[in-house]
Amino acid sequence: AEKVRWRVPVAFASDLPGLGDPITYVADSLMKASGGDIELRVSEPGKLVPPFEITDAVKNNKVPAGYTWIGYDQGKIPASPLFAAVPFGMEPWEYTAWWYESGGRQLGEEVYGKQNVHPILCSIIGPETAGWFRNPINVLDDLKGLKIRFAGIGGRVIQQVGASVTMLPGGEIFQALEKGAIDATEFSMPAIDQKLGFDKIVKYNYFPGWHQAFTASYLLVNKDEWGKLSEANKTMIDMACTAAVARSTAKGEAIQGGVIKTLQEKGVTASKLPEPILRELQKVTQQVMAEEASKDADFKKVMESQKAFMETYKIWKGLAYLPRDF
Amino acid sequence: MELDQILALSMFLSFILLLFTGFPVAWILGGLAVVFSAISIFISANYDVNVFIIESWAETSLVVERIWDIMNNWVLVALPMFVFMGLMLDRSGMAEQLMSNLVKLFGRVRGGYAITVALIGLLLAASTGIIGASVTLLTLLALPPMLEQRYSKELACGTICAVGTLGILIPPSIMLVLMADRLSLPAGDLFLGALLPGILLGVLFILYILVISYLKPELAPLPENAEPVTLKVVVLALIAVLPPALLILAVLGSIFMGIATPTEASGVGAFGAALLALFKGRLNFRMLKDVSIETTKTTAFIFAIFVGATAYSLVLRGLGGDELVASGLKSLPFGPDGVVIAILCVVFILGFFLDWVEITLIVLPLVAPVVVELGFDLVWFTVVFAVCLQTSFLTPPVGFALFYLKGVAPPEIRIGHVYRGVVPFIILQLVGLMITYLWKDLVLWLPSVAYG
Amino acid sequence: MNPSVDPTPSEGSIHFSHIVHHTTLPSNIISLKLDGFIRRLGEIISWVWLPLMLVIIFNVTMRYAFGQGRIELEEIQWHFYSIGFIFGLSYCYQSDSHVRIDILHDRLSLKLQTWIELLGIFFFLLPFIALVIIYATPFVYDAYKINEVSQAPGGLPYRWLIKSVLLIGFILLAIAAISRLLRCTSLLFGLPKPIRQG
Ligand code: NA
Ligand code: NA
Repeated sequence: AEKVRWRVPVAFASDLPGLGDPITYVADSLMKASGGDIELRVSEPGKLVPPFEITDAVKNNKVPAGYTWIGYDQGKIPASPLFAAVPFGMEPWEYTAWWYESGGRQLGEEVYGKQNVHPILCSIIGPETAGWFRNPINVLDDLKGLKIRFAGIGGRVIQQVGASVTMLPGGEIFQALEKGAIDATEFSMPAIDQKLGFDKIVKYNYFPGWHQAFTASYLLVNKDEWGKLSEANKTMIDMACTAAVARSTAKGEAIQGGVIKTLQEKGVTASKLPEPILRELQKVTQQVMAEEASKDADFKKVMESQKAFMETYKIWKGLAYLPRDF
Repeated sequence: MELDQILALSMFLSFILLLFTGFPVAWILGGLAVVFSAISIFISANYDVNVFIIESWAETSLVVERIWDIMNNWVLVALPMFVFMGLMLDRSGMAEQLMSNLVKLFGRVRGGYAITVALIGLLLAASTGIIGASVTLLTLLALPPMLEQRYSKELACGTICAVGTLGILIPPSIMLVLMADRLSLPAGDLFLGALLPGILLGVLFILYILVISYLKPELAPLPENAEPVTLKVVVLALIAVLPPALLILAVLGSIFMGIATPTEASGVGAFGAALLALFKGRLNFRMLKDVSIETTKTTAFIFAIFVGATAYSLVLRGLGGDELVASGLKSLPFGPDGVVIAILCVVFILGFFLDWVEITLIVLPLVAPVVVELGFDLVWFTVVFAVCLQTSFLTPPVGFALFYLKGVAPPEIRIGHVYRGVVPFIILQLVGLMITYLWKDLVLWLPSVAYG
Repeated sequence: MNPSVDPTPSEGSIHFSHIVHHTTLPSNIISLKLDGFIRRLGEIISWVWLPLMLVIIFNVTMRYAFGQGRIELEEIQWHFYSIGFIFGLSYCYQSDSHVRIDILHDRLSLKLQTWIELLGIFFFLLPFIALVIIYATPFVYDAYKINEVSQAPGGLPYRWLIKSVLLIGFILLAIAAISRLLRCTSLLFGLPKPIRQG
């Protein structure tokens, strides 16, 4: 059979549960399922390609494929965050419904296709924490003047309400927080944040993850390389990533509760942001999204597709699911 | 041996051999990246290869993204600022003032000059950590008076070289900043972790000077015309020492207390040094221009090696260098401690030939995952690694401290004096390394206290 | 800055040019021009450390005295720093301040040293520069074409500008390398016609 031997640079350490480990799952599964014909060698963050340059490297075929959270492309591809995390956006399973069944995938392939990149959804995890803060957040004004690490569209929103927002790769956040270079940060789900050690420095952990209701990561494949693959190999890679989506959601959901419990035992205050703050943030989110949409046609197209889907889905969601507060 | 292993190994050996041609280290690294890419691409185009090697120039061209990654690195901004601060302290005569005043305090103790040099070296170490600056400065300031006091040339040179290199270990340290960056560790942890081992080395040096000058008084004769230490002498000395000492405390303190980031502290330190120079009436256009130009050259020669090394390590990885080192270390017939000791021995030996920058950029990221897998604390290991690396400045033939000293020493100092002089200090370094290795709390205690 | 070696440094002034080993190569009419250009540019670029220092001071003041942080001013820090070190590469080579391992090198004849330098530039330095220039060009052009901006909201726009520093820096390094190459050929083959300094 045709041999596929790819070096795959990743944006997250491959031991981060749900966020980084899906790619090792994919690599292992492909190796075994193909009888050794498909070999993906995962290259840890920065070893080959700097984390924020992965999409570019794939686009220019400097590496055949890469695994990353494409919200990092925000400065280059304005529509990218919509495929990565949307404030007040869809639930994880809702996003898979949009991606696999309701035109999301075609849009993703269209937007990234312009960059000569073929995106394959390869991990979805649930909401992130709304951030780690040195001091409690009771009113919107408490966010003003904070220097905070915040990714994606949520970053623009929180900047609108008066925070000073910076973007750092995962590996640099602890140091910045510890040295006081930033006052607060979001990164991912509690189990991952705990691995990065934020709880050692700041004690207020807020929820819900308004800025990132789902977190999607992709295996990005150079389109020319993808075109060269046999149907069998394409199918196998698709299958592995689809399985990884299910497994990452499962992993992400399985472990957070326990982690929050141990964090609380260590003196971390885990609580929800007051509703007025969330309402205000939602309002600003709509403004920011509208503004982005007016600047970029792709952004507008994707946003409208997602909105339309969510409107229809809401009917089902509202009727069918139990209000689970009992 | 597989093809990738042969390529990786020959790439490494080529580097060691080509070093001795005397062509700039940075461009040997960059050039080898291109040459070995060409070889690898040629082989993969003409032969059936079933291992990971480099198959196209596109992969090597990632060097552009990697240089860009060095450019937009906000942590490394501190480096030129620390260089600037060190040069400013030196050109304003502040460092010289420190020396002449401290000698008055210790002049009547046997070995007093050497101890003074050691103390100034410690202060300098805590202020910047640019070895070139520390060693040349200490040589110019202290070597002539020591020789005049008929100190043994070996003791004088050894002391200067040894304490001059402490700056790379005692925070703030560009080496630790770089290591933290490469390993995604908090720089604060490394700073705090390296502090006690650094001080330990300083103490070992001072104890050695005291003991040897007691046992062999002819090595360090007492000054014949030393002033008695009166209150007036002490007060005058303290007044003279105060401004630079305060600056140093402010820079160090703000980093320790988590008040300022290393970048902020470095900028404030540079600015403070310029202000002190202004108050001393030494700051003028010419001096400012000189300091800026020397900052550019020093920064550029260090970053040239970064640039070369990032290309070199990219290609070395592309040829399976990672896997080679990892499998080599794991297949060593020792337990975990044996592996770490083997790594340290290799680093110590590499240090005879290579500079800390190359070792930090190339070797450290290769061995760190292996050590973590063996269950060691990464902060502890990195500090031990740093102590081991610091020794490389002293070990001939390629000991930069030795070159810097020889470069500015009076002509009666031969390279032989320098080589003989550093031997006892290299032994002391190894003793310090052993203590740090065996007594892990020396490293881990301060960081653990700081995070309560 | 005078790149020639002065064996007796004056007190209080320490220059790396005294410490770093120099092979004295003859100049020629072309290399004098190129070296002069690189040196003057390097001296001008060296002033970048002052604005960098002042921006840091300004940021520190704003943050600790007024509790405000501005991302664009944080970003300008690494812009200045990267301008300083990337442009410095050529200046550093022109003034021969790069680290060399001169244990063996010192004992070789001037002619042999020059041959090493010539071959090194030809087979190592210039190919490396070529690699970077060839691939940095689309890197910069891409950023320009898609109008790349900082990924941080409120960060600096026009990413292609700072990315082009990488390209320009390596073009300058190429100039410094060619100048030195010509100085080698001047010594070895008398081409271009050497002008002895000092
Ligand atoms: Na230091
Ligand atoms: Na050495």
